[in-house]
Amino acid sequence: MHLGAKPDAGNAYSQNREQELWDSFRDIITICNQKKTDLLLIAGDLFHRQPLLRELKEMNSILEMLEHTEVVMIAGNHDYIKKNSYYRTFSWAPHVHMICSQEIDCVELDRIQTAVYGCSYHSREIHDPVYDHAVPERRQKYEILLAHGGDEKHIPIKSNQIITLGYDYVAFGHIHKPQLLVENRMAYAGSLEPTDTGDIGRHGYIEGRITGKGCQIRFVPHALREYRNCEVKVDKFVTGHVLRQKITDMIAEQGMQHMYKITLTGYRDPDIWYELDYMDPYGNVVEITDHTKPAYDFTKLKNENKGNILGQYIESLEGYPADSLEYQALCEGVRALMETRRG
Amino acid sequence: MQINELLLKNFGKFHDRQINLEEGINLIHGENESGKSTIHTFIKGMLFGIERGRGRAAQNDTFSIYEPWDNPNYYSGTLKFASGGKHFRIERNFDKYSKKAELVCIEDGEVLSVEDGDLRMLLGEMNVDRYENTVSMSQRNAQMGESMAMELKNYATNYYTSGNGEIDLNGALEQLKGRKKVLENEIRMEMSRKQQKREKLEQEVSFIWRDVHHLEEELDRVEEELEYRAGKEEEKRKERQLEGEHGKGVMDEIRPEKWRIHPMEILIFALVIVTAVLILSRPWNYLVAIVLFLAFGLYVWNRMKVGKKQVKTEPEIILEEITQEEEKVPIEKLRWEKAHITEELKEKTIQYDNLGEQLAELDEINEQSREYEMKRQAVQMAAEHLEQLSGAMRGYLKRDLNEKASAIIREITGGKYTKLVTDEKLHVSLVTDEKLVEIEQVSRGTVEQIYLALRMAVGELLCEEEMPVILDDVFAYYDEERMLQTLKWLKAHKKQVLLFTCQKREEQVMKEAGIAYHKIEL
Repeated sequence: MHLGAKPDAGNAYSQNREQELWDSFRDIITICNQKKTDLLLIAGDLFHRQPLLRELKEMNSILEMLEHTEVVMIAGNHDYIKKNSYYRTFSWAPHVHMICSQEIDCVELDRIQTAVYGCSYHSREIHDPVYDHAVPERRQKYEILLAHGGDEKHIPIKSNQIITLGYDYVAFGHIHKPQLLVENRMAYAGSLEPTDTGDIGRHGYIEGRITGKGCQIRFVPHALREYRNCEVKVDKFVTGHVLRQKITDMIAEQGMQHMYKITLTGYRDPDIWYELDYMDPYGNVVEITDHTKPAYDFTKLKNENKGNILGQYIESLEGYPADSLEYQALCEGVRALMETRRG
Repeated sequence: MQINELLLKNFGKFHDRQINLEEGINLIHGENESGKSTIHTFIKGMLFGIERGRGRAAQNDTFSIYEPWDNPNYYSGTLKFASGGKHFRIERNFDKYSKKAELVCIEDGEVLSVEDGDLRMLLGEMNVDRYENTVSMSQRNAQMGESMAMELKNYATNYYTSGNGEIDLNGALEQLKGRKKVLENEIRMEMSRKQQKREKLEQEVSFIWRDVHHLEEELDRVEEELEYRAGKEEEKRKERQLEGEHGKGVMDEIRPEKWRIHPMEILIFALVIVTAVLILSRPWNYLVAIVLFLAFGLYVWNRMKVGKKQVKTEPEIILEEITQEEEKVPIEKLRWEKAHITEELKEKTIQYDNLGEQLAELDEINEQSREYEMKRQAVQMAAEHLEQLSGAMRGYLKRDLNEKASAIIREITGGKYTKLVTDEKLHVSLVTDEKLVEIEQVSRGTVEQIYLALRMAVGELLCEEEMPVILDDVFAYYDEERMLQTLKWLKAHKKQVLLFTCQKREEQVMKEAGIAYHKIEL
């Protein structure tokens, strides 16, 4: 969830974005009540940093609205349980179970015949592959591993190893992008809302059903907004004004509620360059990068200017990839030479 | 290009004067004041026009000097020349009322436009500055202008160019510099945005730190108070204990708390007195009874005194009223306060740590500034690269220039000087016998020869179209031998030479050496 984060959401939405994250979480409670969900799993990083007491009280009161649902959660690398963390002392509502231990521990929920295994972070990083050998103890009919991490510095995992341990389902947190690790058995739910400009694409939660026949899960998009990467292609005829119109149309078509990271590509008129600050018609462009290249035909220019400095300049810098420093230097230099020549 | 005919319709002192020029050396001889310089100026004016000065400067400018003596409203001439196998005629009116310039191709009668640069094109992009610094040379201004050094530098970048406009290296470098400035500004803006964010955060941190500090002080105070209270309590307890050890008898144990004297004691005392009276014989019994009574009385009085001590006196109450309120705060409340402060302190500490983390994250460089930084580097690289290339090209040009000029000076000095080197600013030095000779060290005649060589070399480098060489009295300081060598060189290498002179030396030397020439007497 990364509650407490203040992600950049463009001019229009940044102000309320922090609150929106809470709103989005509250909606989950409503959904749980409507669907009479048995179990809500929160796989770490509920808070972006160390939670304050008031935040925990707030969270507890939200969770108290649950009518049928048990909650099991752990602390992740962002809200790891520090020495003075409130997680250590806070008393949750009776149906909210937090696994605070650093070693794999278990919460048994007799009513739904389920045991949830897991552990919490007590430091920012854990390099030990803790989950690889966390064998379930067959305490209940259904057994679930609630885990956080998966990269090098945060409990590295071998998913094919973990799946052999015999859990009915492994619920992973940490990676913000939702992704399936093993069909119906192991998945990253991803963050409920995108909390960083890097969290491109759809976000939501994973809804699952475990019966005697096994586990079935599906991803449910839920985020109020998403970050979208968009490429806008320009050509020689696209001026700043036309480009703004293009971006306006594109955002209107894709949805104004989203937040956009725009990359400009293609070959622009060499005489034009774009005023990037001007390209945010709705206040929801969080990033705009100009990768357009001037529409110079370097080969032709070189042949026409054989022997003079322009030709030699092109010759000395050509052949580098388009994203290299040398290529950019080539464009800048050619532009300067072309724009200042006389006659 | 070759000039075929000059027609000074009305120019300076000349009126309808026609001069035919031939290929090779044209010797134009005239006494002083015969109009040599006028013709010289006329050619320049025909090729490049004459700009009128403004205001006071106009009084002595070229235009005024050569304004016709009579009928100044008719101020014009024509010049015929051949270029690229075709013949052209330029016709100009210089006077302010009918000012015009016409360029016609004689073969097909096509009218070309001087304004649009047709003439400039026929002259091989020659401009007046170059003209005066290369092919047109007079004794007065043998040395080349400063501007030529810059032009050569610029020219170096266009070396071997074929058309397609002219590259302006300095302009390009200037533009790159400007671009770099813009980018650096962007980077600074980005940094200051970040700095603002940081300052805001730091302010928040400092507020919280102050709170933390304040709370810590508060906590210390409450804890101290509690400790003091605890100490006092302990003291009291100890006092009581001490009291118990010494003054507390069995009676104190049985006696109810509130009672100073137990009624049983009175009863026992009475019983003892009565018994004493009854048992002992008279009159001792009375005595004993009185003594006992007094003893018991003393005991009771003593007991009552202890009780009295604990009753608050008037000044004691007043004293209590003026003692600080806090001391009266119940210990329970103090304990609660401590718990509360501890909790708040923890909350604030966590907040403080969280903000610290956030501050640390600010140090991460974001995409935007990386992009700007890369662009800045690219611009920098472009500028450096251009400088480097142009340096190399200037090197080639200088080499060629030096080679050409050296070849010329070798011929005209009859092999005395074989090598000539120029620097960036076109300062020249000579090399003889592996020794560098500064131009200041050689004779005036040699200096003029060096300049001639340099001008010819630069002219060859800069001008695509070979222009007629116009020499106005340049041989004054030459000795016969050098002059002969120079004339030989000109005859051999130049298509057309216009030699203005007021002396007979040139003609004599050419006659003696058998160099063909065309003579015009003014």
